[in-house]
Amino acid sequence: MTMTMTEHYVIIGNGVAGSEAARHLRQRDGDSRITMVSAGKLLSINRYELPKIFSTSADWRDFLLHPPEYYDEQNISVRRNTWVSHVDPANKLLMLHHREPLSYTKLLIASGGGRYIPESLNQFKDLIAKFGTYEEAKSVSDALPKRGHMVMLGGDMIGLDLARSLVRNGYKVTVIGEGHLFWPHRVEADERQQFIAVLQGMGINVRTDVGITSIKEGGRNKPERHIVLDNDEVIDADVVLSFCGLMPSLAFMAGAGVDIERGVLVNPQLRSTDKSIWAAGDVCQIWSPEENQYRFFYGWENVKKMGKIAAFNMTGADESIDTVQNEKLVTTKSGEIDSPFWQYG
Amino acid sequence: MMNVSTPVYLEDKLEEVERSGKLEYRSGTLPTWCPGCGYFSISEGVGKAMTELGLDQKDTVCVSGIGCASRFPFFMNTYGFHSLHGRALPVATGIKVANDDLTVVVVGGDGDAFAIGGGHIPHAARRNVDITYILFDNGVYGLTKGQTSPTSVLGFKTTTTPYLNFDQPLNPLMMLLSYGASWVAQAYAGEPHHLTEMIKAAIDHRGFSYLHVLSPCVTFDKTSMTYKNLDMSVHPLPDDHDASDFSAAMTAAQTTDHHQIGVYFSSERPTLSDGLDEISERAKQTA
Amino acid sequence: MARTAKQRTDIQIAICGSAGDGTIAAGDILKQAMAKAGYNVIAFDVYPPEIRGFGKCIARARITSEQVYSLKSESDCLISLNDSHAIPHVSEVCKFGTVIYEDTPVSTVEEGAHVSSHLAPAHLPYGVAFREISERITSSARSRNIVAVGYLAGLYDMPADVFHEVISGKFASKSKELADSVRAAFDAGFQAGVDTFRLHFDRMGAAGGRGKQTDLVMMSGNAAIVRGCLDAGIDTFFGYPITPATTIMEMLAREMPKRGGRLLQTEDEISAIAATIGAGYTGARAATATSGPGLALMAEMMGLGAMAEVPAVAFVSQRGGPSTGMPTKTEQSDLNLAVFGVAGDGQRIVLAPTNVEGCYKCAGKAFEMAEAFQTPVIVLLDLYLSNRYEAVQLPVKNPFAENCSKAPRKNASPAEYSRYKLTSDGVSPRAIPGETGRMHTVTGLEHDERGKPSDQPRIHHAMSGKRHQKLLPALKHPGITISKRFGDKGAVDVGVLGWGSTFGEILEAMIEARKEGIRCAAMKVVMLSPLPVGPVKAFMDDCNEVLVPELNYEAQFASLVTGATGRSVHRLNRVRGTPMSVGEILDQIRHLAGQSGKIAAE
Repeated sequence: MTMTMTEHYVIIGNGVAGSEAARHLRQRDGDSRITMVSAGKLLSINRYELPKIFSTSADWRDFLLHPPEYYDEQNISVRRNTWVSHVDPANKLLMLHHREPLSYTKLLIASGGGRYIPESLNQFKDLIAKFGTYEEAKSVSDALPKRGHMVMLGGDMIGLDLARSLVRNGYKVTVIGEGHLFWPHRVEADERQQFIAVLQGMGINVRTDVGITSIKEGGRNKPERHIVLDNDEVIDADVVLSFCGLMPSLAFMAGAGVDIERGVLVNPQLRSTDKSIWAAGDVCQIWSPEENQYRFFYGWENVKKMGKIAAFNMTGADESIDTVQNEKLVTTKSGEIDSPFWQYG
Repeated sequence: MMNVSTPVYLEDKLEEVERSGKLEYRSGTLPTWCPGCGYFSISEGVGKAMTELGLDQKDTVCVSGIGCASRFPFFMNTYGFHSLHGRALPVATGIKVANDDLTVVVVGGDGDAFAIGGGHIPHAARRNVDITYILFDNGVYGLTKGQTSPTSVLGFKTTTTPYLNFDQPLNPLMMLLSYGASWVAQAYAGEPHHLTEMIKAAIDHRGFSYLHVLSPCVTFDKTSMTYKNLDMSVHPLPDDHDASDFSAAMTAAQTTDHHQIGVYFSSERPTLSDGLDEISERAKQTA
Repeated sequence: MARTAKQRTDIQIAICGSAGDGTIAAGDILKQAMAKAGYNVIAFDVYPPEIRGFGKCIARARITSEQVYSLKSESDCLISLNDSHAIPHVSEVCKFGTVIYEDTPVSTVEEGAHVSSHLAPAHLPYGVAFREISERITSSARSRNIVAVGYLAGLYDMPADVFHEVISGKFASKSKELADSVRAAFDAGFQAGVDTFRLHFDRMGAAGGRGKQTDLVMMSGNAAIVRGCLDAGIDTFFGYPITPATTIMEMLAREMPKRGGRLLQTEDEISAIAATIGAGYTGARAATATSGPGLALMAEMMGLGAMAEVPAVAFVSQRGGPSTGMPTKTEQSDLNLAVFGVAGDGQRIVLAPTNVEGCYKCAGKAFEMAEAFQTPVIVLLDLYLSNRYEAVQLPVKNPFAENCSKAPRKNASPAEYSRYKLTSDGVSPRAIPGETGRMHTVTGLEHDERGKPSDQPRIHHAMSGKRHQKLLPALKHPGITISKRFGDKGAVDVGVLGWGSTFGEILEAMIEARKEGIRCAAMKVVMLSPLPVGPVKAFMDDCNEVLVPELNYEAQFASLVTGATGRSVHRLNRVRGTPMSVGEILDQIRHLAGQSGKIAAE
């Protein structure tokens, strides 16, 4: 290796964080090689806009963050339909699923988070649909008949965003809220009922009084799913989704020697314990000096900002993420709830 | 053995033909060969052989290439194909493959056969095409007025070898034997009766028959293959020569100090048409 | 996305692999099945020049509901069975087209050596575990190609039943176990395709309302030549192997003996044409097949055929030249050799079909014309036409006449028979060996009416005239298209004049140009000798600009037309070894239409 060698920035993940990082990396280092790796078949999409899939007949092209030409113009390579099976920081090498190595000089982990399913529901996970990618969202929208019924377990803010979009489009939504309602907002107990009422007012049926005993597959010509509650009540649904917060996707980092708790542990400059590896988005746990702990920062604005800061710092800057933020859930004048996590576009 | 030491003139020949009343196999076109040319006795011999074999002119095709000898079909009252220099054998193969009922006689000279047409001889021989190849060997290019041929002797002076020919002549008999010709014989234009017998046997042979005929060029060769020289060197094959013995044939063909005439080799094996018929039978069974 | 009956289908698939990957076999199954399902299919395989081993093979097939005339320059889908060969072809995949590739290589590949690293951002990746699926289903990796075809079929909503029929037919003669195993591999791939979330937008629509047809068969140009020969009752064939004509001889070698026909592999091309002419002389229907280098060797014999007036048919499939050139690449550079390649004034008939169905027609008609006009006939193909497959519907009734030879009148006196009699149409009654009393000698020497050699000025002049004049009625020979105009009628801005395989691309470009509002027409010229000067002139009269696209450097057809009509044309010549692209022709049409508009404005 020589000092004049051009950088090869590899970004694991092509979500909002990864995509934003790539954009800034290119702006700040025009001669470098930039490669994004994504398990999906699509170019970067804005995951936060997926609920729109119920209100449009548009295809996936309308969800793209950038048209294909952008990647040609920016000389950004996107390795799709493959994923990283492991990372070897000592040799600055990734191994891709299809047995092709990929070397990097600087690595950004922006692999995001997958859905988290509480232990009690894990045995039913095959009956719970996913909604993290365009393909998953499209499958849900295809499975949900007109005016169909969706049962949402948990009810985190990503789920509630989908729920409000569904009711606006004439679907029926029941949220069976356990502990994850309004996650990642920390809603005080006295405010909780007030916000639930707002949800009800928006047309979302919220059940907080019950737990789930089991989920069963529906029969022929019947709704696809039956949810058996602990009061023996049975709710029929066309689709069951779980929105109980996110779980960082990091299986490939096992044994890499980089410090991980739930997410990749990074400093406010988003650098991990390996000096050539950064992390951004839902996958990283950032040190908050104020709270004296590593914590996650969610929502489109945060994720986007992390992508930018990581890109800046990977190219020699020294910027930090603002670890003090307004994360309050509010009620709008029109009587709906709103959240800083819903700000995007 | 009849010695022909004096040239035969066209006028004499015409008279003789007319007298004989055997114009059946001769066309109205008179040969354009030089007076005294050995080729007259060959065309005479072919006519006689056909008469004796009772061949119908309508079922006989004479095929030739280009050269003095190749003018032959024009002088015969059969179907004829005067083709291209060196290509008489493949044309004849096409004729025979297309129509087995035809008797096909190919005639040609030494240049036509062994120079330009040399590539076709092994294949006609090995395929055992049921045709007769009569080769008129005068050891010189006559039609183009005297240049060396592949059978010209060493030291032969011609217009293209003014400082004498230094190319080793071919041994056509050995070549034909090794190519797998199923019938190989040699005759001499100066011995017309023997020649006629050989032509008869060649046409009669079922398969590829090769008759090499030594035939002086009275115009362009005054020194080597002259009647005088050939008369002295031509001998019949020994009485005990076994024509079924390939080795004996090869040994006899190696003799270069004098010319032996007669049947060197004769064997029976399936002809090209036999093979094609067998292929057809096999194909019909598979279908 | 549901399949809609009205949806048009136009999908081009390219399968790329190494020799031994089963690339061509996979393409073959695909095109046969799609033809069976009633689609139009045009397919063209590219083989390596190497004898065996690891050369690149590409099988391309364009599957459409409407009639189309050429392959597209862009494919909608590329299947990689060998990444190192497929990588250079990723760029031919269209925007939002798909690339299907092996996701489970048997060992680690080098960085950048996997096809997925070469996809453009607008390509859609479909990584599939071909090898694993094949091993799981058939306990061998050998059926990877079949799994790939199955996956493709599933992914594009192709009907599985036609594939089953083709697979059964293809492997039935081997063993039932093999057929079952191949079918299982197909089904596993098919299911994987069906289960894949689909992002591409092309789907198989209905097969153009034709539905499932059993009389639509996939056939290569060379196979159509063979069918034409057989239907015309070919008696003998003599040939010498040469790419890309060899397959004609190979197919005839299988079929002719079954019908009592005789085929011989000769020692060279000279022998092949000589024997063909020898056989033709006896009255047999005789043919040979070769490529440019072989035709060069045949030139002298072609002259003999013309001079001796013997029927013979030669199929000549062109490849890149001169000399040995590019044996496995297509080109149209033997026009001059086919039309003019002879010593002296030795005109003969030259036909150049433009598509696979035309190959069939021209092959059969070549025998009729050879007999009727007592001449050699060259059917000029090229590698692209010889090897490309189209779904064709052959006529139910044999369209070829049996004996077209002008025989001597029965009551005419044999003694008076003149083989080369000067007649009003130039064609002399022809006797063949076996006919009583009409013995004669045919010759390459100039000759009088009786066939006797003659170099008299009067005779040479009269006989030269005869040999040329007798060919002109070939322009009116029944049952064959000599030339044909397509597109706008009347005056047009741009007329495209074409011949041979390139005419497919010309038609496509002309159709596109018309969609853009350009007044445009195209004319194909099938008979290159004698040239239909009248219709060509009439066409040129209607065109402000005439464009002649062809796959040669010297603009051979353009020169032929210019020489015959005295008018200038615009030339478009490419010698890349690949078919002309529709886009290139279209660009020229647009350019010329612009010029034409300017001239009109002035």
